[in-house]
Amino acid sequence: MAGGLRILLVDDEARILRALKALFRDYQTFETTNPLEAAALARQHDVDVVICDQRMPEKTGVDVLRDIKETHPRALRILLTGYSDLKAVIGSVNEGEVYRFVHKPWDNTELKELVGEAAVIAREAPVIARDVLPTHEHDRARAHVGVLVIEHDTTVQQRLREILQPYYKVNFANSAERALQIMEQQETGVVISETNAGRSDLTGLLKALKLHHPHIATVVLTERANAQTVIELINEGQVYRMLIKPVRMGTCRLSVDSAIGRYWQLKQNPQAARRYTAAAPPEGGPNSSLRLPAALLNRIRSLPGRLLGVAKL
Amino acid sequence: MLIGVVVLLLAACGALAFLWLQERKKNADFTAREAQTQDEMKRLQATQSQVIHTTKLASLGQMVAGVAHEINTPLGFVKSNVEVVGDLLDDYRKLVKLYDAAVQLCLQPVDLIFGADKAALDKLVKYVEEARRKLFEARANLESSSLLKDAKELLGDADDGLTQLASLVQNLKGFSRVDRDGMDSVDLNEGLDSALIIAQHQLRDRVKVVKHLQPLPKVRCMASQMNQVFLNLITNAAQAIDGEGTLTIESKPVGQTVEMSFADTGSGITDDVLPKIFDPFFTTKPVGEGTGLGLSIVHKIIKGHNGSVKVRTTPKKGSTFTITLPVDGPAAGTAAATANAA
Repeated sequence: MAGGLRILLVDDEARILRALKALFRDYQTFETTNPLEAAALARQHDVDVVICDQRMPEKTGVDVLRDIKETHPRALRILLTGYSDLKAVIGSVNEGEVYRFVHKPWDNTELKELVGEAAVIAREAPVIARDVLPTHEHDRARAHVGVLVIEHDTTVQQRLREILQPYYKVNFANSAERALQIMEQQETGVVISETNAGRSDLTGLLKALKLHHPHIATVVLTERANAQTVIELINEGQVYRMLIKPVRMGTCRLSVDSAIGRYWQLKQNPQAARRYTAAAPPEGGPNSSLRLPAALLNRIRSLPGRLLGVAKL
Repeated sequence: MLIGVVVLLLAACGALAFLWLQERKKNADFTAREAQTQDEMKRLQATQSQVIHTTKLASLGQMVAGVAHEINTPLGFVKSNVEVVGDLLDDYRKLVKLYDAAVQLCLQPVDLIFGADKAALDKLVKYVEEARRKLFEARANLESSSLLKDAKELLGDADDGLTQLASLVQNLKGFSRVDRDGMDSVDLNEGLDSALIIAQHQLRDRVKVVKHLQPLPKVRCMASQMNQVFLNLITNAAQAIDGEGTLTIESKPVGQTVEMSFADTGSGITDDVLPKIFDPFFTTKPVGEGTGLGLSIVHKIIKGHNGSVKVRTTPKKGSTFTITLPVDGPAAGTAAATANAA
């Protein structure tokens, strides 16, 4: 793993590759216009970061990044796209587990900074290769780790109760306030939440939670997701999974199982959580305060490490 | 007997009066119902024009989304390249400065040579040798530097990208024909290319487009409406194809007409659906995904231009839509303006 930081660039447009190669001239870069050979290149050159386009004729970026996640999990993955359809955005979370979702045209300074950080994290932070735990350990984790559901719709709550209650230590909250009360009282490893409870937006809570406690795995439920909201949840909330309502038992259980596995392993290996660091929301923008009251933000910040199972990073 | 007749007559009169009353009531009912029907018609028409408006907005939205994607890629590298070239030029300036410093170093001893003795001269020679070495090195660095070549290449790409962006904008203008309206002599192959660019984001990853376009005589038509027809047919083809497939577009002159066909390898149209495809508001797509106006608009525009639309389809194999248009456009009086709903 010695030597300068290495980046793999994948885009079917050769001029984008030349532009990125020039932008990253201080790094060692590898480029290909053929997404089919991307995974092999990533492994062969042991790259630290992959920047990949979404829409390519032979294969989508999400598929490329999913393959790289499997075969070369050490690399952090960035999806760079000119137009974001919802399917791609959700795929980039659930399948590609991307570190960041970046729009074309990109900002050179921001992209350089982002890639620089990502490359260092990829070098230093240990990898959690598989989220799924061996059975006996999974049973221990299930008995120990609290799953918190934030959902205000009683029908959906009931449905989730039926799906989750038999298997997990699950708690329900219908507001951010109530959710925090629960988290202050017991160890919570997985938060399942809708994007808004009634009229109050929950994305701010989810982002703040991840920003201060990156080892918690968040699963977001949504009815009709808006691509931009999901992209923000990826970049600033490092959401673990997106589930589309109506919630299906199979996918829901799978997501919660692996979310528990992720949390459990991060708890034992806190350095790995750096891989799932959320970006601070843009300064001065409408999100600068995460749309959260200061009191709530303070409570999130001071959630006791004891209850979260890990010392604060 | 007489009484019996009178009673009978009275009964008959009564029955008649009853019937007459019934009839009157029915008439009143009828008038009321007619008024109601008219109300409903009005409401339906209002809804219809609203839906047509929504369709226009939807196809505008689709256009914007498609074009956004086409624009963001060149915009991405043009913007980046211009910034990077600035940095490269700064780096090159640093090399030039080093070269200047080396030149200065070489010039200094010349002043000293004049008042020098033997020992000082030996020192000077050493100094000059060192200065020359530095000068050569700096020059070699300047010459071997790829900074200018890189910058030039990046600017070349940026230039290409800008040309691409300009032609996209040109295309959009051509597609919507904001600058002219009304009848025009149009090369339909050009309109087709614009529509393909607009629909590009729906095709790109999964639908291969094969074009067999023969040179066409100019056709008198409303260009923006024709473009709408092309876009609707291309969009329909893209939506009929689930996963990957091919769209084959052909155009050729046939006598005094022009024929264009759009053949997809999509789901095809089943027999029960086929008779209804040109009906307004008929759609097989889920609520919210299709208005059911696409093909009815195509039909209306082509009819308005005195042309015809034909469809040939095999379920699960695909469909071919063929439009035929007279080169001289619609006969006077049946002006395509009647197709303005689109």
